Amino acid sequence: MIINSIRQAFGETLAKLGKTNKNIYVVNADLKSPLFLNSFAKKFPHRFIECGVAETNAAGVAAGLAKTGKTVFLTSFACFSPAINWNTIKQSVCYNNVNVKIIGSHAGLLSTDLGATHQMLEDIALMRSLPNMEVFSPLDVLETEKIVKAITFSKKPAYLRLVRATTPNLLNPKLNFTIGKSHILKSGKNITIIGHGPILEEAFQVQAKLNLDDKYKKISLEIINCSSIKPLDNVTILKSVKKTGHLICLEDHQKNCGLGEAVASLVLSSNFPCKFIHLAVDNSFGRSAKTYQELYDYYGIGVNNLLTAVKKILLK
Amino acid sequence: MLPFIKTHPLQKIAQELRGDLLDIIYKNGGHIGGSLSSIDSIIAVYFSSLFDLKKDHFILSAGHLAPALYIVLAKAKYFPKNLLENYSSLDSLLQGHVSHNVPGVEYSSGSLGQGLSFACGLALGDRKHSTICLTSDGEHQEGQIWEAILFAKKYKLGNLINIVDFNGFQIDGSVSEIMPLDNLASKYIQFGWTVTTVDGHNFNQLISALKNAKKSDYPNCIIAKTVLGKGISFMENNFHYHDIKNLSENLYQKAKSEL
Repeated sequence: MIINSIRQAFGETLAKLGKTNKNIYVVNADLKSPLFLNSFAKKFPHRFIECGVAETNAAGVAAGLAKTGKTVFLTSFACFSPAINWNTIKQSVCYNNVNVKIIGSHAGLLSTDLGATHQMLEDIALMRSLPNMEVFSPLDVLETEKIVKAITFSKKPAYLRLVRATTPNLLNPKLNFTIGKSHILKSGKNITIIGHGPILEEAFQVQAKLNLDDKYKKISLEIINCSSIKPLDNVTILKSVKKTGHLICLEDHQKNCGLGEAVASLVLSSNFPCKFIHLAVDNSFGRSAKTYQELYDYYGIGVNNLLTAVKKILLK
Repeated sequence: MLPFIKTHPLQKIAQELRGDLLDIIYKNGGHIGGSLSSIDSIIAVYFSSLFDLKKDHFILSAGHLAPALYIVLAKAKYFPKNLLENYSSLDSLLQGHVSHNVPGVEYSSGSLGQGLSFACGLALGDRKHSTICLTSDGEHQEGQIWEAILFAKKYKLGNLINIVDFNGFQIDGSVSEIMPLDNLASKYIQFGWTVTTVDGHNFNQLISALKNAKKSDYPNCIIAKTVLGKGISFMENNFHYHDIKNLSENLYQKAKSEL
């Protein structure tokens, strides 16, 4: 089977895991097809609980079900869950500390044509702020599979950010995913580029552009995939920043309370001198477009914006 | 001459626990009105021997009624009674709103409207045992409650019992004034539940309703008509006693003498 998107990787992985792990339940809010859960629902009808368009109740049901010892995946779009049901996630899931995995699909500007109401740009902020909650944003299809397995094994509440669009594969298949660990996708000396999700591909494109430019061809980027946003891999991040002294954080999310602010807080507290640029959506709502590249350019987080930031940070 | 009315054995426990409730709230403050209205329902669940609370589940959705539950749990020996003395203090296990860190408590709550959904999840995951939820009437203004009511019917949660402590008041006044629920029983019936309305201070009625609810194939709602501040005349039906910070020595003595 060809798996084209991160959300498809989620649905297919869960259907596979469901065969051997009878403890896995899905609590869904009428978004079975977009999350590729038809297979899970068909194979395990008694473990597929359909709540309808009622995300707050779904979060509470998921929490109660988890209390009986099940591993529960609460599935919806990020713009509804955790957006509508945040307080139920806070109280019923996090404060009660039960084994619920919040799956927020269609996050970020990658939901191209759907526009502002569906392009969830605040999910990391909402989930990062909650005690007991772990937060993950996979880079690609392969990493999605690894993260779904890791969070199934863990007993803690977790948030998994999924995206709608077909995006490129970037991860070395040999790399393992470990909760709380970042991967250095490409090592370099001069600038640390850190980000989460498929947008990190831009960093490879920028490195290719630098290589072709006589003025910048000696500049090497260290590209860090920070799919484990909480817990954050302090050691890998600080080691890289200490080496490069330049840090650019790139994310398809609001600047406010995203990964960039988490990393900035970490670096500022560490006393390593470091120049910092945060490329993210700046206090704006999304909008419709035909491709996500158009939107990334529009909101100042496209490849050319990253290239400009790279040149600028070296002058700083 | 007054007619001879045989008091239910649980009435004696209720009287004793109302005294304890007054003492800890006099000392620490807390939600006294609803605790006094709901405590008989909680006593009926814990002391009627209809349920085995090591296997069956009790979910307090209206988490501000924590004092009533804590006192019942102490009486049922889940923890030593002296823990009650400094409830809601920094070094106390007993939080102002009910917390699952307290022995015997399965669910932490405080934000209204969530407990019935959690109870639905428990009832679905553990169909062999009963799940009893306690909600307040005012809490039914939360939309999430109605999502949960739909869900319980769809999944035929016959092992779910929702006791509604219907005392008719909430923080700012009467429920009928703030956002009327009108005929709550008929609403539950329309949503496919079995409904029984009882006097929530009458143990015979409460226990009989719980016994019938246990046998039902449908989710069950017991509307317990109660009196806010039950047992203390100046608190009864007075919404200013939803929550108290300081009770004067005089009023405390007056209340104590009435219990």
